Amino acid sequence: MKNKELKPLFAERMKELLKEDFPKYLEILEKEPVKSIRCNTLKISPNFLRASLEKKGWKINQLFKEHPEIMIIENEFLPGELGRSLEHLLGYYYAQEIASMLPVIALKPKSNEIILDLCASPGSKTTQIAAKMKNSGTLIANEIDLGRIKILASNTERCGVTNCIITKKEGSSFCKRVGEKGLKFDRILVDAPCSGEGTLRSTFLNYQMWNINLIKRFSGIQKYLLSSAIEILKEGGEIVYSTCTHAPEENEEVIDFVLNKFKGKLKIEKFNLPIKCRPGITIWQRKEYFKEMTKCCRIYPQDNNTEGFFIAKLKKIK
Amino acid sequence: MNIQKFNPLKILNSSEKKEIEKQLENQFGIEKIPGIIAQKGKERLFLFTGNLNPEDIKRLEEIIIIERLGIYFARIVGEEIRLSIEGTQILKNQIKKNIFELNEEYLNSWMSGQDLLLKTGKKGFLVMKYKNNFLGCGKASEEKIGNFIPKNRRLKERS
Repeated sequence: MKNKELKPLFAERMKELLKEDFPKYLEILEKEPVKSIRCNTLKISPNFLRASLEKKGWKINQLFKEHPEIMIIENEFLPGELGRSLEHLLGYYYAQEIASMLPVIALKPKSNEIILDLCASPGSKTTQIAAKMKNSGTLIANEIDLGRIKILASNTERCGVTNCIITKKEGSSFCKRVGEKGLKFDRILVDAPCSGEGTLRSTFLNYQMWNINLIKRFSGIQKYLLSSAIEILKEGGEIVYSTCTHAPEENEEVIDFVLNKFKGKLKIEKFNLPIKCRPGITIWQRKEYFKEMTKCCRIYPQDNNTEGFFIAKLKKIK
Repeated sequence: MNIQKFNPLKILNSSEKKEIEKQLENQFGIEKIPGIIAQKGKERLFLFTGNLNPEDIKRLEEIIIIERLGIYFARIVGEEIRLSIEGTQILKNQIKKNIFELNEEYLNSWMSGQDLLLKTGKKGFLVMKYKNNFLGCGKASEEKIGNFIPKNRRLKERS
């Protein structure tokens, strides 16, 4: 990804978001993101996995004491090589970008809860939630597209996720249907479809399709999805909203929308992540958002050499 | 219009589940399956360990298409049962017999999807194992152990 390939409007918007850090952002776009895996603790402990991979000559770095399952691979590998090892085939790890592991860390799933992953495919976060739940409780992983469900099912199977029900429904229709039957969730993850600005380095195809209308279209879908999900969250329950994009219209604006819609019934929760993140913004192109938006997390590629992400955590007030 | 669901899930009742457990005990010494067993089609068995009971699941199925309940863990093959990779991993602590231990050379052949040309003196399904790794089932005949590693789980040569 070279600087000169940035679309002018995209560059202008990123400059407005990052200000003096914009050159650092441009610099990191030319580097490869770190390679990371997540140990699947449903099948193996981080210590055993590390020993097994080191025996093959892999250089492993566990950066976070509280999250030993997160491993950085420091070897130079060919594309796709992480998915070809015996350990991967046996479901002992999931090749997952670090930033993509953070929404589940924010969600803090617990054993015996009933949890919904509303837009679940390809399953990196579904399998991560199941591991945190130790295959207990019930995890419903919903996905609209049959082709993507096959990928999701293949990943839950490989990872030995036995507490999961995979459903096929458009997200907001799912919420409406189960809401009518009175089913409510302790925790919900809405890892929403988005314009993917944070994944420029790994999925360049997304970037080629980038335009401002796409952002507006996604913003509408995201507001609808998140509002629908909040309806089926238990009182006292928590919901994490995440995207892999930087556009405030798809992030803070969506949170602002639901805070207005569910006035007095929702609050933004603070959470800790193991990497550097920046607070959500409270003003964008003359639009002001709730002040509590600073409790949300913006993850930029130049801060940790990861992909970019946005994460917000909301609690339904009793 | 007559709408028929394609391959609906059938949750096994307790006597049907006991039959599966009895067969698994005969074959591998496995006594108890921890969770709900669902059957899809005539052969494929799924294991669900979540805390929804069969009635809750049926109610959910009335309003939403359930594509998967838990994971595929075994297949009924005639009178026998063949465990998948995950089936052997989940039940590994209960597997007491009909285990075949691979050495490193055979491990690579096995995980590449090849039949092993070995005379084991046994007939029927064997649980394949390498050190602490459980690798699904193979079918022993007089001349070989037949391989069932699915294509997407096989070791591949670097291209």
